[in-house]
Amino acid sequence: MKWSPGRIITEVVMVLLSLLFLYPLFLTIINSFKSFGEVMTDVIALPKSLTFSNYTYVWEFINYPRLFMNNLVITVVGLVGIVLISSIAAYKLARTKSKLSGILYFICIMPMLIPFQSIMLTVLQISKSFHLSESTWGLGLLYWGFGAPLAVFIYHGFVKGIPAEIDESATIDGASGFRLFFSVIFPLLKSVTTTIVIIDVMWIWNDFLLPLLMVNGSPDTKTLTLVAYTFVGQYTSDWQYAMTAMVMAVLPSIVVFIFLQKYIVKGVVAGAVKG
Amino acid sequence: MFKNPGKRWRVKAEFGLFTFPVLLCIAVAFYIPFAMTIRYSLTKWNGISKNPVFVGLDNFKQILMGDANFASSAWFTIKYALLYIVIVNVLAILLALVLDMKLKTTPWLRAAFFIPYILSLVIVGFIWKFIFMQGFNSLGESTGWSVFALSWLGTPGLAFISILAVSIWQSIGFYLVIYIAGLQSVPDDLKEAATVDGAGAFRKFFSITLPLLAPSITISVFMALTNSIKVFDVILSLTGGGPGGTTYSIAYDIYRDTFQNNLYGYGTAKALILFLAVLVVTILQLAFFKRREVEA
Repeated sequence: MKWSPGRIITEVVMVLLSLLFLYPLFLTIINSFKSFGEVMTDVIALPKSLTFSNYTYVWEFINYPRLFMNNLVITVVGLVGIVLISSIAAYKLARTKSKLSGILYFICIMPMLIPFQSIMLTVLQISKSFHLSESTWGLGLLYWGFGAPLAVFIYHGFVKGIPAEIDESATIDGASGFRLFFSVIFPLLKSVTTTIVIIDVMWIWNDFLLPLLMVNGSPDTKTLTLVAYTFVGQYTSDWQYAMTAMVMAVLPSIVVFIFLQKYIVKGVVAGAVKG
Repeated sequence: MFKNPGKRWRVKAEFGLFTFPVLLCIAVAFYIPFAMTIRYSLTKWNGISKNPVFVGLDNFKQILMGDANFASSAWFTIKYALLYIVIVNVLAILLALVLDMKLKTTPWLRAAFFIPYILSLVIVGFIWKFIFMQGFNSLGESTGWSVFALSWLGTPGLAFISILAVSIWQSIGFYLVIYIAGLQSVPDDLKEAATVDGAGAFRKFFSITLPLLAPSITISVFMALTNSIKVFDVILSLTGGGPGGTTYSIAYDIYRDTFQNNLYGYGTAKALILFLAVLVVTILQLAFFKRREVEA
C-alpha cells in the first residue's frame, strides 16, 4: 500500500480522534494518583508525584481481594453453567426434528424479549424462597437461566451447521448420549463457546441491577461494581478515592481485554451477527 | 418396520435429560417470575401486608390515564431511543468506513474505540459525572471556551444531551465492530465495477455499500433499540434522574415505583406495559428491516 498525503492525514486525524475519545479514561487514571487538594484545584494537570496511597487506602477500605473473589465466583459459576446446560440442550433441540423440539426451542429463546425490569421484583422473591439471594453462588446459579436464551440461540444455529453423519459414525463406534456429546460434539463447538464466554464474561462481570437486588445486603457478598456505586455515593466529594475505586473496578476487564483483544472482537461479531 | 420400544424410550429419556436443566433454569429465571408479574399487576400491594388486594385493571387505567411520571419518563425514553439509534448507527457507519480503508493504525483504532464498551455502565456514568462536574472546570479555565462553563448535568435539556452522549461514547465501539465486519463482506469487485461504470464515491456508497450493509444495520438497530428502551444504569450514576426529575427513563421509573415507593403492584403493571411495548416495537422493527435486506 502506498503512502499518499490523503492517507497520512486520515491516519493522523483518526489517531488524534481516538486519543480524544479515550481522554476521559486518562483523566480518571491520573486523578486516582492525586491528593484531594490536587483534584480540586486542577483536574487536567498530571499528578505531582506518583504515590499509591489512594490505592492502598481504597484496597483496604473496600476489602478489594474479597470483592474480586466474589466477582470471580459469580462469573465462573455463571459461565460454566450457561455453557454446559445451553450447549447440551441446543444440540439435542437442533438434532431432534419434532414439533415438541420446535416448541421447546421457542420457549428457550423467547425470554430474550422480556426486559429485566418487568420481572425484577418477582425474580427477587423467587430467589429468596429458593435461598439463592445474599450468596455469590446463588447469584451465579441464577445467571444460568438469564444467560441461557442467547446461548441456546447461538449454539442452536451453530449445531445445525455440523453434519449429522458425525453423530452417526460416533454412535456406530459405540458412543452415545453424554459420551457422544462431550467427546465428539462439544469440542467441535469450541469457537462458538469462545463467543459465548466472552459475551457473558463482559456482561456478568459488569452487571449492576441483578447484583444490587440479590447480593447487596452483606459486605461479604458485594461485587466490584456494586461497591464502586455505593462508594462513590458516599464519597462524592472525595473524588480522588472515587476515581481510584473506578480504576480498581475496571482494571481487571481492561487487562483481560488487552490480552484477548483479538478473540473479544471476533466473539462479539460472531455473537451479534448470529444473535 | 419393526419398532424397538426400548430404544424409543431411551431416545425420549435422553431428550428429556439434555433439555430439562435449561428449561428448569429458564423457567426459574423468566417464566415463573413473569407469571407472578402478571398476577401482581392486577393487585394493589405495598410489599408489607400479607395479601395483595385484587384490583383488576385499575393499575393499568391509572398509569395510562393520569400518571404524569409515567408519561414524562415514557416521552424521555422515546426521545432518547430514537436519537440514540440514529446517532450511534450513523456515527458507527461513518467511522467504520474510515477504518475499512486499511490504515496502518486500524488495529489500535479499533481497540481504542472499543475499550469503553468493556466498562460497566454504572462506572462509565460516574467517570463522566466527575468530568462534567470537576474536569470541565479545569478545561474551561485552560481553554477559555464557554461550552465547559455550561451546567451539563444541572440543566434539563443539557442533562438529556449528556446522557445521550455518554451512552453513545460507551457503546459506539460495539456497533463499529459489527459494521467493520459487515463492510468486509462487501465484495471488492462490485465496487470496482461501479467505478468502471463511472460512479462517484457517494453513488457507490448509497447504491452498493449501504444496501449490502443491510444485515449489519438490521442487527445494530435491533441491539440499539433493545438497549436504549431499557436505559437505566447510566442515568442512575450520571444524573440520578435529575435535575428536577427530568431524566427518568421508564426503566428507572419502574425501579423507583417498585423499590423506593413500595408500589409493588403498580410498578409491575408499568413493567408489563414496558414488556408489551418492547415486544411490539421489536417485531415491527425486525419485519421492517428484514424486508430491506439484499443478498450479496
